[in-house]
Amino acid sequence: MAGAETLIEADNLVRRFPRCEALGGVSFQIRRGEIVALLGPNGSGKTTTLRILATALAPTDGRARIAGYDVTFQSLAVRRRIAYLPENVPLYPEMRVEEYLAFRGRLRGLRGARLAERLRDAVERGGLGDVLRRAIGTLSRGYRQRVGLADCLLHEPDVLLLDEPLAGLDPAQVDAVRALLQGLGPDRCVLFSTHVLAEAERLCHRALILNAGRLAAADAPARLAQAGETTFAEAYRRLTTPLPLVRNPGQRRGA
Amino acid sequence: MNAFFPLWRRELATYFRTSIGYVAGTCFLAIAGFGLWRQAAHLARSAAEGDLVQNLFGTPVYWLALLVATPLLTMRLFAEEQRAGTLETLLAAPVTETQVVLAKFAAAYAAFLLLWLPTLAYAAILRQCGANLPPVDWGPVAAAYLGTALIGAFFVALGLLGSLLTRHQAVAAMAGFAAAGLALAGGRLPFYAHTAPFREFAAAVSATRHMADFAAGIVDTRAVVWYVGGTALALFAAVRILEARRLR
Repeated sequence: MAGAETLIEADNLVRRFPRCEALGGVSFQIRRGEIVALLGPNGSGKTTTLRILATALAPTDGRARIAGYDVTFQSLAVRRRIAYLPENVPLYPEMRVEEYLAFRGRLRGLRGARLAERLRDAVERGGLGDVLRRAIGTLSRGYRQRVGLADCLLHEPDVLLLDEPLAGLDPAQVDAVRALLQGLGPDRCVLFSTHVLAEAERLCHRALILNAGRLAAADAPARLAQAGETTFAEAYRRLTTPLPLVRNPGQRRGA
Repeated sequence: MNAFFPLWRRELATYFRTSIGYVAGTCFLAIAGFGLWRQAAHLARSAAEGDLVQNLFGTPVYWLALLVATPLLTMRLFAEEQRAGTLETLLAAPVTETQVVLAKFAAAYAAFLLLWLPTLAYAAILRQCGANLPPVDWGPVAAAYLGTALIGAFFVALGLLGSLLTRHQAVAAMAGFAAAGLALAGGRLPFYAHTAPFREFAAAVSATRHMADFAAGIVDTRAVVWYVGGTALALFAAVRILEARRLR
């Protein structure tokens, strides 16, 4: 993948909220064909990074590009090339699964035979054949996750941005999601956040470890472990030791 | 406008799939039905023919139906999407903020117009009940429905704007009700401020006065411009607020 095209490019991303700084200058690149895990403790900036890349949030400073398009100034072109699945898998509970997927396909410009073909493929990959006519509101967490993932695969995007895609799944479902992501092939890239280190180690080519809004490490899990002559989990813990950083200058000490 | 129709269709279908469309319909028809009953009672008591259009449009019951039904139709539009998080996935798809706002407005407005459909039968119902009504003068009827459509579009746009400002449907409903109520109260200004500019302003923006004109068959271009402009302004503000959400 060394010579592959760069699909995600973050250049010194900064994001400040009224009461805190979520990202303090994060830079990385992800190439086509890569599966990259975004790791870090709660509040380290994982979701903020994904939301910026998904055009849901504008960076305060720095810039990000998806397939060469700026996420701030060319957001529509970016949105044609991405799929974004937030952590809580927001779906419309009153819609049936097949209706929801068809609706999402139409939003992305799919019509007629092409839509039917893409629906078949996404339903098959998501393992949703049994629940196609069920209302989404009646589905279990695992099935809802699958519906969200099937939605992400509908338009064959270049970039998949997945926030905690393994959260709340049972072991069999985790296996299924892992197989699904690994089966995406070399044509796209996946950036996913997770707290499950073992899964990240098994699934990703590289791990980006965020700590307090800054990139603490970016390398293959095996190399990160090797560098400290430890396991990947220990390397992660070493890298994410809370920094003595005042992230909220307006907040009183000890508050 | 590729994404407009799927968005509009989903939004309109939601009124029939969830309870909110039925609640709005029931409330509206109950209030409008009360207005019809009052009119029937009036006809039975006085045997006076009266002006049916003016007695059904622009009355306090008419305004109550409008003020109750529009917030019920609009409160869910954005508030629910924000609460559930679906707005984020919706706007991660290749749709523009303008398409989303217009599709949601068009769906709520279509639902609003659907609510008024049964009222077309009111004259026939009164006749059936034995009321001695003069032949229908279609001019004032068409003008009254045009006025209702214009004022309704403005109220729906205000309700949509209210729904965008909060993630709580109840708050959105109250905001829509208050905004429409304020727009309606504009015509009452001379009761509180007795200066000439206020009187002129109130006369220009008074929904009650506009509706009285419409019900008499008078279509004043100034009123049409006021409601079309007000609707466009509210929708424009909604698009800008939606675009600005990324900066929050």
